[in-house]
Amino acid sequence: MGAIQILQDSYQVMIKDMIEFKRNRFEVAGLIAFPLIFLLLFGFIFPSGSTHENVQMGLVNLDQGAGSNEFITQMETMNNQLATTKNSSYMSFNNYSSVDAAKTAISQGKINGAFVIPPGFSNNVTNGQPGDIIIAVDNSNPQVASTVEQASSTTINGLNGIKANTNVLKLSNAANQQINPQAIIAPYAPNFQTTIPGTTNYFNFLAPGLIVMIGMMYIMNGIPETIAKEKEMGTFDGMLSAPIHHLSIILGKAMGLTIRGLVQCAFVLIFAVLLFGVIVQGSLLLIAFLTFLAIFSFIGIGIMAVSLAKDQGTAAMIMDFLMFPMMFLSGVIFPIQQMPWFMQDIAKVIPLTYAGDAMRKIMLLNANLADVSTDLIILLGFGIITLLIALPLFSRSMKD
Amino acid sequence: MTENAIEMKNLTKKFGDFTAVDNLSLDIKENEIFGFLGPNGAGKSTTIRMLCTLSNPTSGSAKIAGYDIMKDPAEVRKKIGLVAEKMIMYDTLTSAENLRFFGKLYRIPKQKLEDRIDELLELVDMQKWKHTQIEKFSTGMKQRINVIRALLPEPEIIFMDEPTLGLDPQTTYSIRDITREINKTGVTVILTTHAMIEAEALSDRVAIIDHGKIVALDTPQNLKNLITKSDVSIFGAEITNLTPKLIDKINSLDVVDAVAQQDVHKLKISANDTDALNQIIDIIRQEGGNIASITKSNETTLEDVFLAVTGKEIRDQATAKTASHYMDVEAPKSRIR
Repeated sequence: MGAIQILQDSYQVMIKDMIEFKRNRFEVAGLIAFPLIFLLLFGFIFPSGSTHENVQMGLVNLDQGAGSNEFITQMETMNNQLATTKNSSYMSFNNYSSVDAAKTAISQGKINGAFVIPPGFSNNVTNGQPGDIIIAVDNSNPQVASTVEQASSTTINGLNGIKANTNVLKLSNAANQQINPQAIIAPYAPNFQTTIPGTTNYFNFLAPGLIVMIGMMYIMNGIPETIAKEKEMGTFDGMLSAPIHHLSIILGKAMGLTIRGLVQCAFVLIFAVLLFGVIVQGSLLLIAFLTFLAIFSFIGIGIMAVSLAKDQGTAAMIMDFLMFPMMFLSGVIFPIQQMPWFMQDIAKVIPLTYAGDAMRKIMLLNANLADVSTDLIILLGFGIITLLIALPLFSRSMKD
Repeated sequence: MTENAIEMKNLTKKFGDFTAVDNLSLDIKENEIFGFLGPNGAGKSTTIRMLCTLSNPTSGSAKIAGYDIMKDPAEVRKKIGLVAEKMIMYDTLTSAENLRFFGKLYRIPKQKLEDRIDELLELVDMQKWKHTQIEKFSTGMKQRINVIRALLPEPEIIFMDEPTLGLDPQTTYSIRDITREINKTGVTVILTTHAMIEAEALSDRVAIIDHGKIVALDTPQNLKNLITKSDVSIFGAEITNLTPKLIDKINSLDVVDAVAQQDVHKLKISANDTDALNQIIDIIRQEGGNIASITKSNETTLEDVFLAVTGKEIRDQATAKTASHYMDVEAPKSRIR
């Protein structure tokens, strides 16, 4: 049986599947609702930026001199400047009379950390000595601890700058010299320029990966489900007893799923842009082509699972077993750079890693075809090789 | 084309240790209505599946319209139509869409396909429902579409696996009429059923199949003559206080071949000696059984033949409560592979 004939027959199977899909309202609704739910979930459970709000801090002033009072006043001014909105504050301060009282409050979870100004602080500052400040941190929760550390260092750095500014001005006046204090305090001025205009958020990182991930999930869940449905209804026998090649059935079904998967991915993109303000820099055509290639690369795995499994339950289990590591290790949800080396190695053999990477480059960095050619070749190769293994397996599984 | 529509040689199918079809050798003539009669799990459906190239035999071979099922499955598929036990159609598609889809798989030219669809819908009186989705149909209407779906490519041989299972009497009769009409146009019909009446009403020849083996094969009339001419007698007995123990006792008699319980009080007993009736009555009385009636039917049915040759009743005894064959609906589904 010729390849053209197989394709013609698979086209008939695809058309039939499409009519069936169109008539099933739940499936149509699911095609749109699923991306929306997924985006909402991922859009809100992860922090949108690196800002901190209302870090609870204790304040223990054991010095009570002019220097420490000035420090506290400046810190409060600084705190108000750092606050993102009017109603919130960067840190909120609670006064404690002793270090022990502050430590107890930390243990009780009332505060996340405390500034301790030791006795003699004012004396040190006025006499040209560094004024030590102790920052007690609750490090039972590493994330809270790092928040406190960041908030504290930002504040102290700011205060250091103000103090140094004043001191340098005083010195320059005394020496009768015109000096820009900043040039002495901070001679190197980093100027961060980002690849993406505007403020970046986690969602910009997430959206491109989500598109290919949802495409992957659609095809990998879809193949076992569509075959199982036909087997259960008995219609599978109707196709098998017709004079068509087995491959026409699976290819037709894969074609139908690919088209529907592409539509679903388009919805992910539309929602990401409309609801989460993701800005698409790259060409839509290239995005569509990459999505198609990503979906294509998973067809082989889907067919393998359905060929090796005896029933839909087993096929679904194989799929979950494959999909979950792919979801979390591919760098779609968490950056690969955060993972230990052996996880990074696993990530390198997962096609979704390359699909997500290429999609991010195209969508956010306006990469062109040549820029992502390595990713595309890997995806294409993976898709072809898995298909070449899967199709004979499928043919073999058709007869018991 | 050869004279035989189907030739099976030592056809065997094993699922692990279980032998579903055991060394089946059989020729089915062209333009014959051939019935496979047997209880659930006897191997009827498995045989059909092998002949339709849906399942590979473990050993042995078969030829359909001259083509080997293993060597030329593609040619075999062009010659056959399948009415499977599970209806082959898509619920959300209309009658026409279903028929069109399968017609295209058989590469029937467009205009010819449309004509054929109309012609077949007319055959089963379903023209009105051409553009209605299958899910809105009753089981009987669905089965009509299911039958004509198999007829689309004008097959030489049509396989019908339990075609009237679960249908109301009216539809059952109409499906049987359609089957006869199909047969008149020269199509060989292979029928499986566990309804005696159906096998008797339709088949030119019947093979009684049990545990994957043919235990009797002949025309329905000749099969019945087997009993009439032999020493075998079939008695009906109604015992008001029937117990399993009593059934065992009756069964243990040398003159008794088989006992089948038909409902709470009724038994069918196959016996092979002129003195059998006396011995049966003796043992029932001895065990304290209260006989309401004993009958001996003068007209043998296929059911009696089945009891005599297989030693058991065709219906699943646990679920059989009345003698009506429509109760078959509740019988456990046969194993489908």
